[in-house]
Amino acid sequence: MSTLLQEIEAQITGIKTTMTKQNVGVVREIGDGVAKIEGLADVMMNEMIDFGHGIIGLALNLEETEVGAIILGDYTEIKEGQEVRTTGKLLQVPVGKPMLGRVVNALGEPVDGKGPINTTAAYPVEKIAPGIIKRKSVSQPVQTGIMAIDAMIPIGRGQRELIIGDRSTGKTTICVDTIINQARINRAGEASGDKTYRPLYSIYVAIGQKQSNVARIISVLEEAGAMPYTIIVTATASESATNQYLAPFVGCAMGEWFMDNGMDALIIFDDLSKHAQAYRQVSLILKRPSGREAYPGDVFYLHSRLLERSARLNESSGNGSLTALPIIETQMGDVSAYIPTNVISITDGQIFLETDLFYQGVRPAISVGISVSRVGSAAQIKAMKQVAGRIKLDLAQFRELAAFAQFGSDLDAKTQAQIERGKRIVEVFKQVQYNPMPVENQVAVLWSVQNGFFDNVPVDKVKDCQGKMIDFLANRKTDLMVRIAKDKALNDHLINDLKAAIGEFKQTYKP
Amino acid sequence: MKISKSAKKDAKQCFRDCLVQGRLDQNRARQIVQYIITKKPRDFLAILTHFQRLVKLELNRFTANIESAVAIPETVQGQLRQNLESRYGAGLHYNFHLNPNLIGGMRVRIGSDVFDGSIQARLASLQEGFK
Repeated sequence: MSTLLQEIEAQITGIKTTMTKQNVGVVREIGDGVAKIEGLADVMMNEMIDFGHGIIGLALNLEETEVGAIILGDYTEIKEGQEVRTTGKLLQVPVGKPMLGRVVNALGEPVDGKGPINTTAAYPVEKIAPGIIKRKSVSQPVQTGIMAIDAMIPIGRGQRELIIGDRSTGKTTICVDTIINQARINRAGEASGDKTYRPLYSIYVAIGQKQSNVARIISVLEEAGAMPYTIIVTATASESATNQYLAPFVGCAMGEWFMDNGMDALIIFDDLSKHAQAYRQVSLILKRPSGREAYPGDVFYLHSRLLERSARLNESSGNGSLTALPIIETQMGDVSAYIPTNVISITDGQIFLETDLFYQGVRPAISVGISVSRVGSAAQIKAMKQVAGRIKLDLAQFRELAAFAQFGSDLDAKTQAQIERGKRIVEVFKQVQYNPMPVENQVAVLWSVQNGFFDNVPVDKVKDCQGKMIDFLANRKTDLMVRIAKDKALNDHLINDLKAAIGEFKQTYKP
Repeated sequence: MKISKSAKKDAKQCFRDCLVQGRLDQNRARQIVQYIITKKPRDFLAILTHFQRLVKLELNRFTANIESAVAIPETVQGQLRQNLESRYGAGLHYNFHLNPNLIGGMRVRIGSDVFDGSIQARLASLQEGFK
């Protein structure tokens, strides 16, 4: 018995109590989600600060006598004089495949009521973009399923393509269509058993959106079966400016995980105008000096460092990619405002949506003249290049001639033919929302337009003819469509078969 | 009180003038305060308020606040002083307080550094661990 007591006593005396050093500060001022803290001499930029009760802050302003921190979560419980401590960690969010199919907030926490997410990896929210040595040129396509985009403004994996336009012109719809199309292609790719197939996962980041809009997008994606390949990061209008500022970086960290692990991902920032506004709010509360339109001086750097993280990595770095589709909302079509020009200069091209076209019934309302893709043509499949090579020029010529023809002057036969062809091209490019078109169908339609098969179809019947032609090809000429999809190029043999098939359809079609 | 940029700048200059070999000379600080009160330059109240803040932060940097649940014997206090001076340099000012809420152990705070070896802190971290 006494031996036992002695042993315990020896154990107790052997215990060394260690003191841990902590760096603390005191809240001097709190309001609007921003705290001013005195102390915290060792705090790092972007370090997480523990406010207790599970509340975390992020150190953004390191000043001589105080630290400015943004609060992530409910800041109403924080009191003046409260002690806070550094954590030695940068802000991290959970990443990985278990995030797919989930709706998360700006901290990566699930908000869809489907229980916790079992992830094993975490990525820092702020990360330096991959350097030039790790990158390679864009060479693989992102099929949006929107014919006007895939034909004229192609997007490649690793590209940053801006979608810009006024309110209610279909910016979000283009992105949702793209997500739905990726899910369709992914499902087909998985079903085919092709081991070389590379799925493209989507991340939709809603910044400052109405909750009803986000709920509608989620239901659309669920209905289309796209959620299993999609992560939704929400920082809606009702959330703090801090969360809205962080959300795109959080989404980007999730996308980077796919890229770093040799996979492909697509990220949509909906939208960066509201993100800039949220950042302006945070910066003004932090008393940072303001510049043009009261935005802080580093608003360009904010977006450039975010979008630079989208890249196509080379084989030695895993061959992954992160494609970004940032959205910018313009006011009265003014693309020369501060934030639009910034983002236009950062991205590799833009898709400009026009209100006038939208109300004329040209939907998607893409303005072909000022929409460009600077690197995407390298990623376009050969078949699409063969059929869509001249179409942008034809359409631009049509717009010019149509404007000229409005004066009612007599036109020669060639000009009239160009105008008639143009009208049909415009009709062909009209597409209903949430109905992306497979690339082989796009190739077949564009080939038939280019080769005059639509010339004798009345303009108001073009959509009807197009729909019936696609049905005919899908049901009766399935093998031909499969061959186009597989070969990804139109050889003489395929062209002859396509010509015969469309000729056969035209004989049966009565407008 | 709203302290303007120029007042902050002046206060900072006054504070710099109080430093001798990187340490605050308290007599100089007193003289500067007296001088400002007598001369009453523009924004002198704001200058003094900010100056006071800078002095407070500087004093905190070299003040060790030591809290313990029970009174610390003189020998342990001496040991503690020796240890802290080896880490932070000579010239520290010591404040010993009794704080029964700590239950046991002690808590030392110098500037923004805290060495917490109290039972209260351990219980708090245990509580966090269970959450």
